[in-house]
Amino acid sequence: MKGWLRVRLKLLSGAVLLLSATPFAGLAAQQNGARPAASASPAEDGQWTMPAKNYASTRYSGLNQINISNVARLKPVFTFRVGTAKGLEAAPIVVGSTMYIITPYPNYVWALDLAKGGKPKWVFRPHPKPASQGVACCDVVNRGVTYSNGRIFFATLDGSVFAIDANSGRQIWRAQVGNINKGETVTMAPLVAENRVLVGNSGGEFGVRGWLTALDAGSGKLAWRAYSTGPDKDVLIGPSFKPFYAKDRGKDLGVKSWQPDGWKIGGGTTWGWISYDPKLKLIYYGTGNPGPWNPEQRPGDDKWTAGVFARDVTTGQARWYYQSTPHDEFDHDDINEQILLDMPVNGRMRAVMVRPGRNGFMYVIDRASGQVLSADPYGFINSVRGVDLKTGMPIPVPEKKPKSGRITRNICPAAPGAKDWNPSAFSPHTGLLYVPHINLCMDMGVMETSYISGTPYLGAEVKMYAGPGGNRGVFTAWDPVRRKKAWELKEDLPLWSGALATGGDVVFYGTMDGWFKAVDARPGSNGRLLWQTKLDSGIISQPVSYRGPDGRQYVAVMSGVGGWSGAIVSAPLDARDPSSALGFVNAMRDLPARTKAGGRLYVFALPR
Amino acid sequence: MSSRSRASLALLVLVLAGCDREERNARGAPLPETGPAQQAALAATHSDPRAKQYENVSFQISQGQRLYSWMNCVGCHAHGGGGMGPPLMDEKWRYGGRMEDIVATIQKGRPNGMPAFEHKLTEQQAWQLAAYVRSLSAQPRQDVLSGRADEMSNTEPQTLDERKPVKDAAGSEPKGPVK
Amino acid sequence: MRRAALLLLLLPLAGCDGIQSMTGGDGAQGAEFNSLFTLFMVVTGVVYILVIAFLIAALLRRGGKRTDVRDDPGEGHERGLTTALVVWTAFIALGLTVLTLASYFTDRSMAAAAVPANGEVLNIEITANQWWWDIRYHSPTHTETIRTANELHLPVGIPAHIQLRSTDVIHSFWVPNLAGKQDLIPGRLNDIDLLPRRTGLFRGQCAEFCGAQHAHMALDVTVESRDAFRAWWRQQAEPAKTPTTPLAMAGYNYVMQRECSVCHNISGTGATGQVAPDLTHVASRKSLAAGTLPMGRGQLYAWIADPQGVKPGNNMPYIGLEPQELHAVVAYLETLK
Repeated sequence: MKGWLRVRLKLLSGAVLLLSATPFAGLAAQQNGARPAASASPAEDGQWTMPAKNYASTRYSGLNQINISNVARLKPVFTFRVGTAKGLEAAPIVVGSTMYIITPYPNYVWALDLAKGGKPKWVFRPHPKPASQGVACCDVVNRGVTYSNGRIFFATLDGSVFAIDANSGRQIWRAQVGNINKGETVTMAPLVAENRVLVGNSGGEFGVRGWLTALDAGSGKLAWRAYSTGPDKDVLIGPSFKPFYAKDRGKDLGVKSWQPDGWKIGGGTTWGWISYDPKLKLIYYGTGNPGPWNPEQRPGDDKWTAGVFARDVTTGQARWYYQSTPHDEFDHDDINEQILLDMPVNGRMRAVMVRPGRNGFMYVIDRASGQVLSADPYGFINSVRGVDLKTGMPIPVPEKKPKSGRITRNICPAAPGAKDWNPSAFSPHTGLLYVPHINLCMDMGVMETSYISGTPYLGAEVKMYAGPGGNRGVFTAWDPVRRKKAWELKEDLPLWSGALATGGDVVFYGTMDGWFKAVDARPGSNGRLLWQTKLDSGIISQPVSYRGPDGRQYVAVMSGVGGWSGAIVSAPLDARDPSSALGFVNAMRDLPARTKAGGRLYVFALPR
Repeated sequence: MSSRSRASLALLVLVLAGCDREERNARGAPLPETGPAQQAALAATHSDPRAKQYENVSFQISQGQRLYSWMNCVGCHAHGGGGMGPPLMDEKWRYGGRMEDIVATIQKGRPNGMPAFEHKLTEQQAWQLAAYVRSLSAQPRQDVLSGRADEMSNTEPQTLDERKPVKDAAGSEPKGPVK
Repeated sequence: MRRAALLLLLLPLAGCDGIQSMTGGDGAQGAEFNSLFTLFMVVTGVVYILVIAFLIAALLRRGGKRTDVRDDPGEGHERGLTTALVVWTAFIALGLTVLTLASYFTDRSMAAAAVPANGEVLNIEITANQWWWDIRYHSPTHTETIRTANELHLPVGIPAHIQLRSTDVIHSFWVPNLAGKQDLIPGRLNDIDLLPRRTGLFRGQCAEFCGAQHAHMALDVTVESRDAFRAWWRQQAEPAKTPTTPLAMAGYNYVMQRECSVCHNISGTGATGQVAPDLTHVASRKSLAAGTLPMGRGQLYAWIADPQGVKPGNNMPYIGLEPQELHAVVAYLETLK
């Protein structure tokens, strides 16, 4: 009897073990060992409090009610007209039972009550200066608000940062950080970490000097400001600065790697994404292109533009820096997102960041030291031969070098890079990174240009067109451990929306002609299309997923075409001139026939 | 010389009268009188006498083209198709499409981001620039328009373009004489 | 009368010397070219003289009895003609071979002169505009990159590699003392190598008609010792000094706030225009407006007050400064040494 019981128990526990182990075993077969940095990705709480979802920037919702088998039944629950017809790039933010959205200029912030079917709770109108529209390169967008400690933080186009009460919508403080007379605007979503509101400027096309500013979240007072060019004391480079590569060591390189005074109007704006590692207390962010676009006017490496910084969050002191594109020749800003992962590299677990770079390389960089562990092309590249991992330097292709007095043809990737600002998502469930990106090449001519305060400082003329294959967009599922594509989807139009990964192994993204798509996230699925629906206008925003007050899983996205790629529709521009919108219009001639300007929030759920 | 050949020579000379040379005033047109009477007259007719000296003169238009790239106009408005700024090759003019409206826009700027170029450009240069801007929508006479697009992006030469009607932001044609 | 005509004929020879001479051989490339030219002169001269001599001889030949075609002049006559033809052909072949070889070797040694003996080479970029020369010196340490206009300084004995471009129409770069001409063509990159052999002041000139003011598109070339050149570079790399006198300060303010700074660059100040001559050290130059006027206070007044009177059609606009403003601007520009 005893023996029998023991056997029974053994069998039972074995079955339990087997049952519980199966999903993990299945995962282990698929999984590559990559997982988000634990300290930067707290457990799923059903909310979405910052555009990147968490400090690790995974843009992954652990909710799994919506899954591969039922996603086809998704239905809109409510929509909300935001009142603008410009590019909507922001992510809706969900805190408790309230959703917060921000519109492009004039940057209204709406609070929607999710318990009452999206009924507006309040609206905050910051009234940015109208003139800021004229110095906003590439549409008057805003990339989102962020929530922290009962407050909503956001920046307006004219360079003001606001803190407002999340409940009442009342202004708590306002800080002017940018000056539009110099061409400075702010389009990025701030990040709040360790009581610091981090925000950077836009305007790399206006000869702006880039910076990242940290404000005290309580008072809005300036905590520190780190410039991207100039002497060490302005860049906050001190004794703790230990870049991995020798070429980045030396005094005042932010001055010496420029022509005289070039750094004062040298760009390096920081309008992209910031990630934060709470364990190392380091923030990570990229710097934009040097100015002007014409590389001949700024001989040298143009430090510290087009690279990635790691800084101490409290003091702003730089820890390391890696320049992915020294002496940028093609407007390859390096402001793209970095996803903080812990994953095996050459058989050893390492704390890394994965960055789909604008220049077309998928960088894996050691978070603590700044060493580039690998850099593999994820799009078509002919402007650079590869990355030398010993020096971290890209290997140039001399015949693609733009020179005044000639037109350099067929440069790939084009000025918006293999991927622009629109962020990827990482699913710990599949171990894959989902990268919405573009496949464009360009012809480029450069000419001498004057810096005239408040006017574009470019000195280049560009004409873009589809890259090899003829598809302008690509949605890639990238395996960061195996350093290769798991699968990829070709999209006709450039992808300008973010990606969203969910626990149900469904990945969402939108296209510029308004299709909101759900595809199978699993490695072997080849990105099978599970569901799609056509929205009012093209999608260039960041979809999010949350648990509503009723316990159901929702997916929210904003539709409103615009941005650099969509300005042809939202401005609207004249397609007879291929150089419109800095040459992007040439690649987007068909867009006006395929979508129209608009501005609407859509929320989807499974029928009850 | 026979009287017949003399007569034909005289006729030949007469033909030379048809060789009209474009007038180039290197220093720019003098400012018109700005007494109250003249101003009132100007306001009534809404046409600045200087417009004529710039609008249909290809030299002035090509000088304007040079300034268009020197003053970074091209960064926002591209070669007429627009970008950060509105297109200039279509028929819509938010702030008026006559020479003097464009000169005013250049000199004083506009609230939605057009910077003011007064004291950065001389008055003469502003007029030259305005003449070029109007040529983007083929407003001047066909024979003074450029038969070649200089930029790499290969827009159509202006001579192949049709003259666009000048409409304000609302889409209606403004009152008053339009040249 | 005849003597006067002879003297007049000699007058152009005066061009063969001084600051704009193609026979001076002040540069290695120029000298090579010059000796090639001399050789061509000699060979073709001899041929010319021979041809003319034969012609004259043929014309003067008399007494030859006119013979009928059928009359056979005899084998002896034919043989003589054949020999003469063979000799003549051989002479031409030899001459052509000599010239071809000489051209080939000249080309080789001109190329060799461009290769620095000790790896030292000066990289310069010249952009031609209607109607001035934009000159940029590149240095490996980028902070010392300098820019100047209408004035080229070269160290003696160091090869200079010059990139040539044009922003508008075809121009031609020609410093006769140093080397031959080279065109600057919009939409193309071109280059020329110079190796100055002796110090001195020379004059360059646009050698391709480029518009109304083609004649006023000159270039002052200074070939100096290595030390002097280095000192000049150092001085040119300095940013502009802030003026000290109130008048010059007023001029500084005017230049910064008004039309000037939109097109002109003055390093170290807010004047960041790139499309007109760099003014950082304008007062240190020898001339104004591409050799149109010598540098001096009076000329600065004249030029700024009415650039269209001095050089009609150029791209510096007539601004119509008030006298007080003019005094101030000139005072400021004079400080830009």
